[in-house]
Amino acid sequence: MGLWRDIKGTLQPFWVTLGYLFKKPATIQYPEEKRTPPPRYRARIVLTRDPDGNERCVACHLCSAACPVDCISMQAAETEDGRRYAAWFRINFTRCIFCGFCAEACPTMAIQMTPDYEICDRDPLNLLHEKQDLLIDGCGKDEEYNFYRHSGIGVVNPRGGNADETPPVDPKALVP
Amino acid sequence: MPKLIIDNREVTVPEGTNVLEAAQALDIVIPHFCYHEALGAVGSCRLCAMNFLEGPVEGLQMACMIKAEDGMVVSTVDEEAVELRSHVIEWAMTNHPHDCPVCDEGGECQLQDMTVAGGHSRRRFHGPKQTYINQELGPFIQQEKNRCITCYRCIRTYRDYCGGTDFGTFGSRNRICFGRFQDGRLESPFSGNLVDACPTGVFTNKVFRFKSRVWDLQEAPSICPHCSLGCSTIPGGRYRELQRVKPGINRETNGFFICDRGRFGYDHVNHPERPRQARLDGQQATVDAALTAAAQRVRQMVEQHGPDSVAFVGSARTSLEAGALLAEWAKRTGSPHLLFETHRERDRAARILVDRLGDRACSLAELQQSDLLLLIGTDLIAEGPMAALAVRQAVRAGAQVVVIDPRPIDLPCSCTHLPVGPERLPVFLDTLVTRKTEALTDAERNPLQALLEQLDAAKTPALLGGADLLGSRGISRLLDAAVALDNNERPVRVVGLLGGANSYGGALLTRSPRDFDTLVDDIQEGAIKALVCLESDPYRECFDPARAQAALGRLELLVSFDCTPNLAAQRADIFLPSRPVAEMAGSFINNEGRLQAFEQVIEPGISIRETSSGDHPPREFSLETPGALPRPAWQMLAQVLDLPGDLPAIRQQIATADERFDALTSLTADETGPRITDPVVLPDTAPDELPQCVPGETLPLLPVQGFAGSDWLAHLSAPLQPLEGEPTIWLHCDLAVRLGLAEQDQARLTTPLGHCHVTVRTSARMADNLVLVPHLWGTALEGLVPGGRHIDCRLEKEVNL
Repeated sequence: MGLWRDIKGTLQPFWVTLGYLFKKPATIQYPEEKRTPPPRYRARIVLTRDPDGNERCVACHLCSAACPVDCISMQAAETEDGRRYAAWFRINFTRCIFCGFCAEACPTMAIQMTPDYEICDRDPLNLLHEKQDLLIDGCGKDEEYNFYRHSGIGVVNPRGGNADETPPVDPKALVP
Repeated sequence: MPKLIIDNREVTVPEGTNVLEAAQALDIVIPHFCYHEALGAVGSCRLCAMNFLEGPVEGLQMACMIKAEDGMVVSTVDEEAVELRSHVIEWAMTNHPHDCPVCDEGGECQLQDMTVAGGHSRRRFHGPKQTYINQELGPFIQQEKNRCITCYRCIRTYRDYCGGTDFGTFGSRNRICFGRFQDGRLESPFSGNLVDACPTGVFTNKVFRFKSRVWDLQEAPSICPHCSLGCSTIPGGRYRELQRVKPGINRETNGFFICDRGRFGYDHVNHPERPRQARLDGQQATVDAALTAAAQRVRQMVEQHGPDSVAFVGSARTSLEAGALLAEWAKRTGSPHLLFETHRERDRAARILVDRLGDRACSLAELQQSDLLLLIGTDLIAEGPMAALAVRQAVRAGAQVVVIDPRPIDLPCSCTHLPVGPERLPVFLDTLVTRKTEALTDAERNPLQALLEQLDAAKTPALLGGADLLGSRGISRLLDAAVALDNNERPVRVVGLLGGANSYGGALLTRSPRDFDTLVDDIQEGAIKALVCLESDPYRECFDPARAQAALGRLELLVSFDCTPNLAAQRADIFLPSRPVAEMAGSFINNEGRLQAFEQVIEPGISIRETSSGDHPPREFSLETPGALPRPAWQMLAQVLDLPGDLPAIRQQIATADERFDALTSLTADETGPRITDPVVLPDTAPDELPQCVPGETLPLLPVQGFAGSDWLAHLSAPLQPLEGEPTIWLHCDLAVRLGLAEQDQARLTTPLGHCHVTVRTSARMADNLVLVPHLWGTALEGLVPGGRHIDCRLEKEVNL
């Protein structure tokens, strides 16, 4: 029994290999040839803009809080019209594990994962991406959402001017 | 002691406890907004509903409104109660905006916690949300009215607890909102407490706005260094920058709140001119080299000129550990000159208070229980703001307050104020001791007679006095008065407001019977040739800065350990960068003798806000942190003395050498702290007379402390700058009329120190024939140090051309 098993075990791999000689190869010639990953593939992280072209990121720190490897850091600041934004925003791609928690945590759809998986460099410093490296010109996967049109604190529209709000009340009114 | 059952668990609580507190004692988390340990319960938020199954009360009830009683059986997980709570929190959220990502409350939002605890996660109401227009409330508080859930905690904190009057409830029905009648700075010196009181983001810290998320902050329990009360604080820092201070909880001292000076005075830690580099003869040096040189030169000085030629001067912001090591250094050199206060009257007053206070010491918690408070020669808002808040709580419980002081005192409570000149204070104090009213004028006699009767009738009276105005003689008489007023049933408690956070500890450590002014004489004569300053500024923080500066120029060796850019640090031959409270562990002893420890919050370093270039932090990697050279003063002193440089070893060493500080070895930063009382070495020089302001050809001018601007560390804090204002003088209305001056006039003030331009403020609630000038660092009034005699001045109205 043992002998037959050994002979079969020796010959069968040769047979399988021989069979593959006549099939189309699965290997692609990367980097000359490239495969298109599915749209929801989790690779390079970007910061998107809202439909009006403004930065979506409000520097709320939820992505950095969610990040299990602590690769996101930022500093919040405020513009004159009261918009909170990231004065600087840094993702350390040498640490990033592309888990997607940051995109999941993002309340403004600012931080999104893209299928661009080609992130490697000889100098780790080049993998330290600042805001200007991360910010793209489009809305990414969500074409419509603008946080400040729903936030209820009056940045894009005057206070009380968003669709789901009433105009500001007059606390000194006497009408019952 | 009622015994009740909550969720099948038995608990025994003190009489008067409500059921919500009883549940908390069992670590049961029940959502609540209106209940707060300091503010009490009002039963308005309807969130703490529990089902009372058996006992004197039955049915669905608000737990905070029901006193715990024997035989109660309560369920917090009952279906009915859970459902009510989830509905109530859902109603509270109907108008709450969708702005958590841009709200600074995130991370410590009670509304968020309670919403989750209440079981509400999905919005079912699809109607529009109500909005409001925000108000501009000054440099400290940012308002966002849309977030309000009308819990009324802000009103109960600002108006009821802190006694502010410029804040209220506006509107009717569902238009209720909270704010000022008009835009403007919130006037209460306790306005910052709105930030902590508000369970959501209606009131947030404007100074801390968008700087960090609270979960990113490095925090540790600490002690406020801005006055002698020793309030517990929790500073928080990030990226090598101290960014905010919130109150810590110490039920014996500050309770749950702190004043705005403590809250916004932290920025001295980040001061751009803070010296961070050791210097040796004007050249940059390593800390080790400078320490070796300091030890060597002091030794040489002692060898050449004897131990009397070296003096050691600490300060009221020196930690107890560093102070004890400085004392050890003085002992090893054999020098008899060791002081912890460069202002002679503050020094004497602190030593006399420490020597005689004993069991009369009164914590702020005990002060709140007093039924009669006599404030004599103290402006609590300037000298110990949280004591004013404690006085207010006593008044709310029915206490009477009598103030005898020349200043137009603004207490956050009602009081009887006798605005007498400072020269009358000793007469009043004597009258309290002798009960003879002959020396009083007719106008003074009746109020004082009434006061004496009140004092006799009071069950828990307390006397409060400030070291600055009373001086050592006044503090001594205040203690005499307390002895004279004692009777068999009750002792009279005493609170003395001292110069700084560790004035008490410094007085305990002082070994020299001399005061700083006699040392200045020795320096002038050349007998003292070397001076070691530990976080002190003998150039300016002394009784007579002009005289001190002239004498200190003759020193052959000046060694300074400091964390602020003061004159001693600038002029030192050997300078060593030390760390402020937030950057080290240590301990202070507050004005009632309470020994309290603090922990290190952040490491020193220049914040990345300053080191970053352009729109991102630095991209270079380095093992060295810029500006990280400062070391704790106790560590550097231990190195000078060849002792181990870690804190537990230093504390052990101090406790072994001096049994008064036994408690140091086991002290932690989260305990209320033990009291230390002990006789101290008293000054042998005659104390100054109390200020005698006899009107003559010139006007008597009396420098006093202000809320902001008089404290050196607070002056170095940028957020407090808006409170400092311009140089100001205070005059009685009648005096102003006689001088032809009116409120807000510009005047030229001439003193022996020179001229300066001041704004005139007038008040009818202050002593006549007197010019009061709040001390203001960084202005022409800098040389007018409080705590001394009055000086002569002239006032002329300035005519605008």
